[in-house]
Amino acid sequence: MNRSRLMKSAQEPLRAILGDRLALVGLAVLLSIIAMALFAPVLSTHAPLAVNEREEGSLFTRSVEAGDVRWQASPPLGEATLNAADYRDGLGMAVGRDGVVWRYAGGDWSRLDTPLTATLNAVNIREDGATLVAGAQGTVALWTPDDSWQTFAMPEPLDVNDIAWRDADTALLVGGGETIWRLDLASGEVESLQSPVGRGFDLNGVALDVDGSAWLVGDRGLALRLAPGEDTPSLERLPGNRELNHIHIADSGAGLIVGERGTLLVRDDVESSWQSHDAPDSRAMRAGWITDEGHAFAVGRSGIVFERERGADWQLMPSDEERHLRTLMVTESNYFALGSDRFVNRLAPPSGEHWFGTDHLGRDLFSQNVHGSQIALLVGFLGAALVVLIGANVGLVAGYFRGRTETVLMRTVDVMYGIPFEPFALILVLLFEPSLFIVILAVSLLTWRTVARLIRSQVLSLRERPFVKAARVAGASDLRIMYLHIFPNVMPLVFLELAIIVGVSIIAEATLSFLGLGPPQSISWGGILHNARLSGAWREAWWWNLPPGLLIMITVLSVFFISRSLELVANPRLRARR
Amino acid sequence: MSSRRSYLIRRVLHGFMALFIIATLLFFLFRLGLPDPTAALITEGLTPEEREQIRASFGLDRPIWEQYFIYLANIVQGDFGYSFHYRAPVADIIWERLANTMILMLPAIVLAYGVGAPLGAWLSWRRGSRADTSGIFVGLMFRSAPMFWTGMIAILIFGIGLGWLPTSGMRTLPYVASGFLDKIFTLDFLHHLILPALVVALYYLGSPLLIMRNTMLEVYGEDFIEMARAKGLPERRILYAHAARNALLPVVTQLAVTIGLAAGGQVVVEVVFSWPGLGREILNSVRTSDFPLAQASFLVMAAFVITLNLLVDILYTMLDPRVSFK
Repeated sequence: MNRSRLMKSAQEPLRAILGDRLALVGLAVLLSIIAMALFAPVLSTHAPLAVNEREEGSLFTRSVEAGDVRWQASPPLGEATLNAADYRDGLGMAVGRDGVVWRYAGGDWSRLDTPLTATLNAVNIREDGATLVAGAQGTVALWTPDDSWQTFAMPEPLDVNDIAWRDADTALLVGGGETIWRLDLASGEVESLQSPVGRGFDLNGVALDVDGSAWLVGDRGLALRLAPGEDTPSLERLPGNRELNHIHIADSGAGLIVGERGTLLVRDDVESSWQSHDAPDSRAMRAGWITDEGHAFAVGRSGIVFERERGADWQLMPSDEERHLRTLMVTESNYFALGSDRFVNRLAPPSGEHWFGTDHLGRDLFSQNVHGSQIALLVGFLGAALVVLIGANVGLVAGYFRGRTETVLMRTVDVMYGIPFEPFALILVLLFEPSLFIVILAVSLLTWRTVARLIRSQVLSLRERPFVKAARVAGASDLRIMYLHIFPNVMPLVFLELAIIVGVSIIAEATLSFLGLGPPQSISWGGILHNARLSGAWREAWWWNLPPGLLIMITVLSVFFISRSLELVANPRLRARR
Repeated sequence: MSSRRSYLIRRVLHGFMALFIIATLLFFLFRLGLPDPTAALITEGLTPEEREQIRASFGLDRPIWEQYFIYLANIVQGDFGYSFHYRAPVADIIWERLANTMILMLPAIVLAYGVGAPLGAWLSWRRGSRADTSGIFVGLMFRSAPMFWTGMIAILIFGIGLGWLPTSGMRTLPYVASGFLDKIFTLDFLHHLILPALVVALYYLGSPLLIMRNTMLEVYGEDFIEMARAKGLPERRILYAHAARNALLPVVTQLAVTIGLAAGGQVVVEVVFSWPGLGREILNSVRTSDFPLAQASFLVMAAFVITLNLLVDILYTMLDPRVSFK
């Protein structure tokens, strides 16, 4: 019987919500947010705190304005990494992942159809425009300007890392496991040359010197030299033992070798020896270029570009984005740097991959916003339930017993009214570690005061009603009267307060998290805005600011709409007004 | 009348009592949470004797109840101690910050109530219309949006996008002001005030608007309105001269409560707009573990709230003759 009475008192608020259009909209929105919180792992497209990476065929162009050099990002060439590029007499070629080949002619880039699918690491253009490309698993192919492809079979499926033309019909291919292949294009025959080291080091670069000999560089500072016409390379000693990634020798005999940890080896001409230079940054350098006059360029990971005038120090040049640059292509009028293998996708605007964009660490913001609903609703409902539990009981006891009990409880409420919320929460965090518990505690400690006052004033009038007197005469205990006779009558008010305080709690939690006082390592809407502000990027990245605030707003607004219709139940006088 | 005077005296006593309780709670809360408040001061490499010396200079070597009474005595004398961070007396810092906060909050609240109350009255007159619904919607919307977010969006639009208004601080740096009045009576200050004040005002707008609207609707049912109608007064005159005056009481009450809470500042608005107010100061003091400053800021805010709540009660006895003094 008692349960049914309680049920009945809950029925009326529900009917009120269902009868009011705005409240119904509010209820629908709130239910979707609840669903979002419950199904957050399913709904989120990415792990919310995982760093997301991306690759693209980055293209940087060197620009000089008023003497200031800047490497500017041009629109990328497709979505595949570009690993190598070459240019000769008006024709440029760039190759990359999954057999991608781009042709540069007359200032425009166009993609070529290829029969190749393996990742390409090397490209070299012959004087007549025929281009040899090579890459993973022994892929080697020749492109001729009539746009036909001819593939060559290699003896083993080893990765080829670089190519050099020895003469018009012979190419040198170097690669993993100290592979050195001599390819005869006319016959298609491949001969394996024996390295004098034989320890399976990778060879990464090959270049032809002005005297017709070939330089081969690779792992652990390994350098080999193949004299013209000979098939047995000899070991060369270079300064340092870091992995060498690329070698370039200009027609004048000036040379540049780059490698890991900012390794830069420079040779001024054929007679000079290789000199190790100090780099302005010690990241991995992937490619280098030196002009006949000795003006040298080197590019590497994270958008690093170095330049050096002959005789001067190496300078770090500004570049637009932190792309991983892998190769250089020099034409008569332009310098291009190309890349980029997987880089952190920072501050990306909304796209099909990241619906709400990414933050400064490349984390998916849509997933963060979806997960943020969990904390908001947890604090909102738990805080409100706690508040109403404390407030309703204090109000009930104070209003029912009156006398000294009432005085003590209500004086306590008066004291609580003297405490400002945000500063109180700040002090709590100063004294104790920030955690979800502190947030909920701060919210509930300071909001029950309103509920207690409201419920008490209701109970004051209810306790004088005939049905309470009748219960007392019938011998009902105080507890029974309070909770079974009076409480169901203040239920509408309790529901109303519950709804209002859910909204208050959600805003309070967002505020604390925004100030950086929320639980660490958790994702909340206020926390997302805190990160945005802290990173300083919020001034540009609108996609970072907008969604969390809108979500907070519509959640709280929906709760307010629901509470407005509950108000009708709690205060029937209002009904006449609408 | 004597019942009224004794009621007022009782309320003042209650106010002092509440303040005393809060001060006491604060003292023990701090001792509980920070057994050694000088931890922030003590750097590596100090000998135990030097540590003891620092502790002694703050009176921390004495028994806890003695510390408590010294603390209470100092508060009564307006001495809030010495800030660890600024290495200056806390009282000087707090009064300046409090003034900064109020010079932002008061115009904002006045604006919100000056616009919100008449607007609420007008909405009640047009009840059920589209204007009524959208007015309520907009009021609730700004109430639901977190203020720091509204502030960020306002900065993005008016500060960065359009470049109309400055977005941080009270004055363009560098500036030298000889005093507080010199600091605020300039166009540059007003220019800096617009954006944060507008954001605060938009947030507060909802409550006078809704309270005014709802009270007006209740007043419409009263007999004296029927009387005015029967006399044939124009509807507009009934609205503003008769109904609004009687509906103003809850709005005035809410105004005083809001001003009281304003001292605590809207911490977030001061943070977003880098406004050197009391709210931002308490956040900084928490971050730098400057506990004398945090403690005193909090106490001043609490005193402000309690005083304004007291004022509300006194105001009530003057404005509404129906109040009983039990």
